[in-house]
Amino acid sequence: MIHNIHFAQYIPYTAMHFVTGTWTDTAGDVAGTIAKHKAANTETAVVTVPIMIPSNSIALQGSKLASIELDYECEVAAATSVTAVLHKIVRGVDGAVAVASHPTITQDLVAAVAAAAHEEHKIVVTLTTPVWIDNDEYYLCEFSFVCGAAVTVDVFGAVANFTARM
Amino acid sequence: MIHNIHASQYIPPTLFHVVSATAAITHAAGAVSGTIALALGAANETSVVTIPIMIPSNARALQGAKLVSVELDFVNATAEFTSHTFVLNKVTRGANLSVAVVAPITKTDSVAATASHAVDEVKQVVTLTVPEWVDNDCYYLLEDTIVQGGGGGTCKFLGAVANFTLRL
Repeated sequence: MIHNIHFAQYIPYTAMHFVTGTWTDTAGDVAGTIAKHKAANTETAVVTVPIMIPSNSIALQGSKLASIELDYECEVAAATSVTAVLHKIVRGVDGAVAVASHPTITQDLVAAVAAAAHEEHKIVVTLTTPVWIDNDEYYLCEFSFVCGAAVTVDVFGAVANFTARM
Repeated sequence: MIHNIHASQYIPPTLFHVVSATAAITHAAGAVSGTIALALGAANETSVVTIPIMIPSNARALQGAKLVSVELDFVNATAEFTSHTFVLNKVTRGANLSVAVVAPITKTDSVAATASHAVDEVKQVVTLTVPEWVDNDCYYLLEDTIVQGGGGGTCKFLGAVANFTLRL
Protein backbone atom coordinates (compact mmCIF):
# COMPACT_ATOMS: atom_id res chain seq x y z
CA MET A 1 0.00 0.00 0.00
CA ILE A 2 1.09 3.53 -0.79
CA HIS A 3 0.73 6.10 1.97
CA ASN A 4 2.25 9.50 1.16
CA ILE A 5 1.49 12.41 3.49
CA HIS A 6 3.11 15.12 1.39
CA PHE A 7 0.81 15.37 -1.62
CA ALA A 8 -0.54 18.66 -2.93
CA GLN A 9 -2.74 19.83 -5.79
CA TYR A 10 -2.59 23.23 -7.45
CA ILE A 11 -6.06 24.66 -8.17
CA PRO A 12 -5.98 27.55 -10.64
CA TYR A 13 -8.36 30.39 -10.09
CA THR A 14 -10.03 29.48 -13.37
CA ALA A 15 -11.60 26.56 -11.48
CA MET A 16 -12.95 28.85 -8.74
CA HIS A 17 -16.36 30.43 -8.30
CA PHE A 18 -16.74 34.18 -7.83
CA VAL A 19 -19.93 35.81 -6.56
CA THR A 20 -20.57 39.52 -5.93
CA GLY A 21 -18.40 42.19 -7.42
CA THR A 22 -17.00 42.86 -10.84
CA TRP A 23 -14.38 40.20 -11.52
CA THR A 24 -12.21 40.05 -14.62
CA ASP A 25 -9.46 37.80 -15.94
CA THR A 26 -6.16 39.64 -16.01
CA ALA A 27 -2.46 39.08 -16.20
CA GLY A 28 -0.92 38.92 -12.73
CA ASP A 29 1.30 41.70 -11.42
CA VAL A 30 4.25 39.37 -11.92
CA ALA A 31 4.70 38.76 -15.65
CA GLY A 32 3.77 35.24 -16.62
CA THR A 33 1.17 34.76 -13.89
CA ILE A 34 -2.62 34.88 -14.14
CA ALA A 35 -5.16 36.49 -11.84
CA LYS A 36 -8.84 37.19 -11.25
CA HIS A 37 -9.23 40.87 -10.41
CA LYS A 38 -12.02 42.40 -8.38
CA ALA A 39 -12.79 46.04 -9.01
CA ALA A 40 -13.13 48.44 -6.10
CA ASN A 41 -16.55 48.63 -4.50
CA THR A 42 -18.04 48.43 -1.06
CA GLU A 43 -19.36 44.88 -0.88
CA THR A 44 -18.67 41.39 0.35
CA ALA A 45 -17.34 39.19 -2.41
CA VAL A 46 -17.33 35.43 -2.03
CA VAL A 47 -14.68 33.24 -3.65
CA THR A 48 -15.25 29.50 -3.47
CA VAL A 49 -12.44 27.05 -4.15
CA PRO A 50 -13.55 23.58 -5.27
CA ILE A 51 -11.12 21.10 -3.74
CA MET A 52 -10.26 18.96 -6.75
CA ILE A 53 -8.44 15.95 -5.32
CA PRO A 54 -9.21 12.23 -5.67
CA SER A 55 -11.81 10.54 -3.50
CA ASN A 56 -12.50 6.88 -2.87
CA SER A 57 -15.53 4.73 -2.18
CA ILE A 58 -13.59 2.67 0.38
CA ALA A 59 -13.04 4.17 3.82
CA LEU A 60 -9.50 5.35 4.63
CA GLN A 61 -8.37 5.25 1.01
CA GLY A 62 -7.87 7.95 -1.61
CA SER A 63 -7.18 11.40 -0.16
CA LYS A 64 -7.15 12.75 3.37
CA LEU A 65 -7.55 16.51 3.12
CA ALA A 66 -5.29 18.35 5.57
CA SER A 67 -5.18 22.02 4.53
CA ILE A 68 -5.90 24.53 1.80
CA GLU A 69 -3.78 27.53 0.85
CA LEU A 70 -5.00 30.56 -1.09
CA ASP A 71 -2.73 33.10 -2.77
CA TYR A 72 -4.25 36.57 -3.18
CA GLU A 73 -3.50 40.25 -2.87
CA CYS A 74 -5.42 43.14 -1.34
CA GLU A 75 -4.50 46.13 -3.46
CA VAL A 76 -4.82 49.90 -3.06
CA ALA A 77 -6.04 49.57 0.54
CA ALA A 78 -6.67 47.01 3.23
CA ALA A 79 -9.89 45.02 3.17
CA THR A 80 -12.13 44.91 6.21
CA SER A 81 -11.72 41.17 6.63
CA VAL A 82 -11.02 37.93 4.81
CA THR A 83 -12.68 34.91 6.40
CA ALA A 84 -12.55 31.25 5.40
CA VAL A 85 -15.24 28.62 5.86
CA LEU A 86 -14.97 25.01 4.75
CA HIS A 87 -18.05 23.25 3.45
CA LYS A 88 -18.37 19.50 3.23
CA ILE A 89 -21.00 18.68 0.64
CA VAL A 90 -22.57 15.25 0.71
CA ARG A 91 -24.14 14.73 -2.70
CA GLY A 92 -27.80 13.88 -2.74
CA VAL A 93 -29.12 10.66 -4.18
CA ASP A 94 -31.41 11.07 -7.17
CA GLY A 95 -34.37 13.20 -6.10
CA ALA A 96 -32.66 14.51 -2.97
CA VAL A 97 -30.77 17.70 -2.24
CA ALA A 98 -27.16 17.80 -1.17
CA VAL A 99 -26.37 18.23 2.49
CA ALA A 100 -23.74 20.71 3.67
CA SER A 101 -21.83 20.69 6.91
CA HIS A 102 -18.89 22.73 8.09
CA PRO A 103 -15.77 20.99 9.37
CA THR A 104 -13.86 22.93 11.98
CA ILE A 105 -10.91 24.81 10.56
CA THR A 106 -8.37 27.42 11.59
CA GLN A 107 -6.88 30.11 9.36
CA ASP A 108 -3.33 31.22 10.06
CA LEU A 109 -3.95 34.88 9.21
CA VAL A 110 -6.40 36.73 11.45
CA ALA A 111 -9.47 37.69 9.42
CA ALA A 112 -9.68 41.40 10.15
CA VAL A 113 -5.96 42.00 10.61
CA ALA A 114 -3.23 40.06 8.81
CA ALA A 115 -5.50 38.47 6.22
CA ALA A 116 -6.98 41.83 5.23
CA ALA A 117 -3.81 43.93 5.06
CA HIS A 118 -2.86 45.81 1.92
CA GLU A 119 -0.37 43.15 0.85
CA GLU A 120 0.35 39.87 -0.94
CA HIS A 121 -1.10 36.97 1.03
CA LYS A 122 -0.69 33.25 1.39
CA ILE A 123 -3.39 32.14 3.79
CA VAL A 124 -3.44 28.60 5.12
CA VAL A 125 -6.71 27.00 6.20
CA THR A 126 -6.11 23.88 8.28
CA LEU A 127 -8.69 21.25 9.18
CA THR A 128 -8.71 20.54 12.89
CA THR A 129 -9.37 16.92 12.00
CA PRO A 130 -8.19 15.96 8.50
CA VAL A 131 -10.79 14.02 6.56
CA TRP A 132 -10.78 11.09 4.14
CA ILE A 133 -12.92 12.02 1.15
CA ASP A 134 -15.69 9.65 0.16
CA ASN A 135 -16.73 9.51 -3.49
CA ASP A 136 -20.20 10.78 -2.55
CA GLU A 137 -18.89 14.03 -1.15
CA TYR A 138 -16.67 16.96 -1.98
CA TYR A 139 -15.29 20.02 -0.26
CA LEU A 140 -15.61 23.72 -1.01
CA CYS A 141 -13.46 26.29 0.72
CA GLU A 142 -15.20 29.65 0.78
CA PHE A 143 -13.43 32.95 1.34
CA SER A 144 -15.48 36.06 2.10
CA PHE A 145 -13.74 39.29 1.21
CA VAL A 146 -15.41 42.18 3.05
CA CYS A 147 -14.28 45.15 1.01
CA GLY A 148 -14.45 48.87 1.52
CA ALA A 149 -14.78 51.36 -1.30
CA ALA A 150 -11.13 51.51 -2.31
CA VAL A 151 -9.74 48.01 -2.04
CA THR A 152 -9.28 45.78 -5.06
CA VAL A 153 -8.44 42.10 -4.88
CA ASP A 154 -6.40 39.75 -7.05
CA VAL A 155 -6.84 35.99 -6.62
CA PHE A 156 -4.00 33.90 -8.06
CA GLY A 157 -4.64 30.27 -7.15
CA ALA A 158 -4.88 27.70 -4.39
CA VAL A 159 -3.17 24.52 -3.25
CA ALA A 160 -4.78 21.63 -1.40
CA ASN A 161 -2.49 19.54 0.81
CA PHE A 162 -3.44 15.93 1.42
CA THR A 163 -2.34 12.41 2.18
CA ALA A 164 -2.65 9.99 -0.73
CA ARG A 165 -3.28 6.35 0.09
CA MET A 166 -3.95 3.58 -2.40
CA MET B 1 6.51 2.47 -4.26
CA ILE B 2 4.59 3.37 -7.39
CA HIS B 3 6.71 4.77 -10.22
CA ASN B 4 4.72 5.16 -13.42
CA ILE B 5 6.26 7.13 -16.27
CA HIS B 6 3.11 7.12 -18.38
CA ALA B 7 0.68 9.18 -16.29
CA SER B 8 -1.28 11.95 -18.01
CA GLN B 9 -3.86 14.54 -17.03
CA TYR B 10 -6.46 16.04 -19.37
CA ILE B 11 -6.95 19.79 -18.80
CA PRO B 12 -10.28 20.99 -20.22
CA PRO B 13 -10.53 24.36 -21.98
CA THR B 14 -12.91 25.52 -19.26
CA LEU B 15 -9.83 25.94 -17.07
CA PHE B 16 -7.92 28.05 -19.58
CA HIS B 17 -7.27 31.75 -19.00
CA VAL B 18 -7.60 34.21 -21.87
CA VAL B 19 -6.72 37.86 -21.91
CA SER B 20 -7.68 39.78 -25.02
CA ALA B 21 -8.56 43.42 -25.38
CA THR B 22 -11.25 43.02 -28.00
CA ALA B 23 -11.47 39.45 -29.30
CA ALA B 24 -14.62 37.62 -28.25
CA ILE B 25 -13.93 34.68 -25.95
CA THR B 26 -16.72 32.14 -25.70
CA HIS B 27 -17.48 28.56 -24.83
CA ALA B 28 -18.37 26.82 -28.08
CA ALA B 29 -18.99 23.40 -29.49
CA GLY B 30 -15.95 21.91 -31.16
CA ALA B 31 -15.91 21.20 -34.87
CA VAL B 32 -16.38 17.52 -34.12
CA SER B 33 -19.78 16.88 -32.64
CA GLY B 34 -19.61 16.14 -28.95
CA THR B 35 -16.42 18.09 -28.29
CA ILE B 36 -16.08 21.36 -26.41
CA ALA B 37 -13.89 24.34 -27.12
CA LEU B 38 -12.85 27.75 -25.96
CA ALA B 39 -13.28 30.00 -28.98
CA LEU B 40 -11.23 33.09 -29.73
CA GLY B 41 -12.93 35.44 -32.17
CA ALA B 42 -11.31 37.41 -34.95
CA ALA B 43 -9.52 40.60 -33.96
CA ASN B 44 -6.41 42.37 -35.11
CA GLU B 45 -4.54 42.21 -31.84
CA THR B 46 -2.42 40.08 -29.55
CA SER B 47 -4.26 37.68 -27.27
CA VAL B 48 -2.77 35.49 -24.56
CA VAL B 49 -4.10 32.06 -23.63
CA THR B 50 -2.68 30.49 -20.47
CA ILE B 51 -3.09 26.82 -19.57
CA PRO B 52 -2.73 25.96 -15.86
CA ILE B 53 -0.98 22.61 -15.48
CA MET B 54 -3.11 20.81 -12.92
CA ILE B 55 -1.09 17.82 -11.80
CA PRO B 56 -0.21 16.64 -8.29
CA SER B 57 2.77 18.08 -6.46
CA ASN B 58 4.60 16.99 -3.36
CA ALA B 59 6.43 18.58 -0.46
CA ARG B 60 9.18 15.95 -0.72
CA ALA B 61 11.85 15.99 -3.40
CA LEU B 62 11.56 13.32 -6.10
CA GLN B 63 7.99 12.41 -5.18
CA GLY B 64 4.63 13.27 -6.70
CA ALA B 65 4.75 14.31 -10.35
CA LYS B 66 7.65 14.91 -12.71
CA LEU B 67 6.39 17.07 -15.56
CA VAL B 68 7.65 15.88 -18.93
CA SER B 69 5.55 17.57 -21.58
CA VAL B 70 2.33 19.44 -22.29
CA GLU B 71 0.21 18.90 -25.39
CA LEU B 72 -2.19 21.56 -26.63
CA ASP B 73 -4.91 20.85 -29.19
CA PHE B 74 -6.28 23.79 -31.13
CA VAL B 75 -7.76 24.67 -34.49
CA ASN B 76 -6.85 27.75 -36.48
CA ALA B 77 -9.66 28.68 -38.85
CA THR B 78 -10.68 31.20 -41.52
CA ALA B 79 -7.29 32.80 -42.02
CA GLU B 80 -3.68 32.35 -41.04
CA PHE B 81 -2.51 34.10 -37.88
CA THR B 82 0.73 36.03 -37.68
CA SER B 83 2.09 33.76 -34.95
CA HIS B 84 1.54 31.47 -31.98
CA THR B 85 4.40 31.65 -29.47
CA PHE B 86 4.65 29.21 -26.59
CA VAL B 87 6.32 29.84 -23.24
CA LEU B 88 6.25 27.46 -20.29
CA ASN B 89 6.55 29.33 -17.01
CA LYS B 90 7.37 27.91 -13.60
CA VAL B 91 5.69 29.94 -10.87
CA THR B 92 7.19 29.72 -7.40
CA ARG B 93 4.52 30.94 -5.01
CA GLY B 94 5.45 33.71 -2.65
CA ALA B 95 5.39 33.33 1.12
CA ASN B 96 2.83 35.50 2.86
CA LEU B 97 3.66 39.16 2.06
CA SER B 98 5.87 38.20 -0.90
CA VAL B 99 5.23 38.12 -4.62
CA ALA B 100 5.55 35.02 -6.75
CA VAL B 101 8.64 34.46 -8.87
CA VAL B 102 8.36 33.36 -12.49
CA ALA B 103 11.02 31.54 -14.46
CA PRO B 104 10.62 30.35 -18.07
CA ILE B 105 11.48 26.68 -18.57
CA THR B 106 13.72 25.55 -21.41
CA LYS B 107 11.67 23.41 -23.79
CA THR B 108 11.12 22.45 -27.39
CA ASP B 109 7.98 22.72 -29.51
CA SER B 110 6.97 19.85 -31.79
CA VAL B 111 5.25 22.11 -34.30
CA ALA B 112 7.39 24.73 -35.98
CA ALA B 113 6.39 28.35 -35.61
CA THR B 114 5.34 28.65 -39.23
CA ALA B 115 3.09 25.60 -39.00
CA SER B 116 1.51 26.50 -35.68
CA HIS B 117 -0.27 29.53 -37.07
CA ALA B 118 -1.50 28.00 -40.31
CA VAL B 119 -5.17 27.22 -40.88
CA ASP B 120 -5.25 23.66 -39.64
CA GLU B 121 -5.75 21.33 -36.71
CA VAL B 122 -2.70 21.66 -34.49
CA LYS B 123 -1.37 19.42 -31.75
CA GLN B 124 1.53 21.26 -30.22
CA VAL B 125 3.71 19.20 -27.89
CA VAL B 126 5.87 21.29 -25.59
CA THR B 127 8.60 19.10 -24.10
CA LEU B 128 10.75 20.16 -21.18
CA THR B 129 14.44 19.81 -21.93
CA VAL B 130 14.89 18.67 -18.35
CA PRO B 131 11.69 17.22 -16.81
CA GLU B 132 10.95 18.68 -13.38
CA TRP B 133 9.54 17.27 -10.15
CA VAL B 134 6.76 19.61 -9.05
CA ASP B 135 7.16 21.01 -5.55
CA ASN B 136 4.06 21.95 -3.59
CA ASP B 137 5.15 25.59 -3.62
CA CYS B 138 5.30 25.69 -7.42
CA TYR B 139 3.03 25.33 -10.40
CA TYR B 140 3.40 25.62 -14.16
CA LEU B 141 1.59 27.74 -16.72
CA LEU B 142 1.81 27.21 -20.48
CA GLU B 143 1.34 30.52 -22.24
CA ASP B 144 0.35 30.85 -25.89
CA THR B 145 0.71 34.38 -27.21
CA ILE B 146 -1.29 34.77 -30.40
CA VAL B 147 -0.61 37.62 -32.76
CA GLN B 148 -3.86 37.37 -34.62
CA GLY B 149 -3.24 39.81 -37.44
CA GLY B 150 -5.84 41.42 -39.66
CA GLY B 151 -6.81 38.41 -41.74
CA GLY B 152 -9.83 37.45 -39.68
CA GLY B 153 -8.40 34.28 -38.19
CA THR B 154 -10.19 32.54 -35.35
CA CYS B 155 -9.08 29.78 -33.02
CA LYS B 156 -10.72 27.04 -31.01
CA PHE B 157 -8.85 25.46 -28.10
CA LEU B 158 -10.02 21.90 -27.48
CA GLY B 159 -7.95 21.06 -24.43
CA ALA B 160 -4.53 20.11 -23.18
CA VAL B 161 -2.84 17.06 -21.73
CA ALA B 162 0.05 17.09 -19.29
CA ASN B 163 2.35 14.07 -19.38
CA PHE B 164 4.25 13.18 -16.27
CA THR B 165 5.88 10.53 -14.16
CA LEU B 166 3.86 9.68 -11.06
CA ARG B 167 5.77 8.49 -8.03
CA LEU B 168 4.26 7.80 -4.64
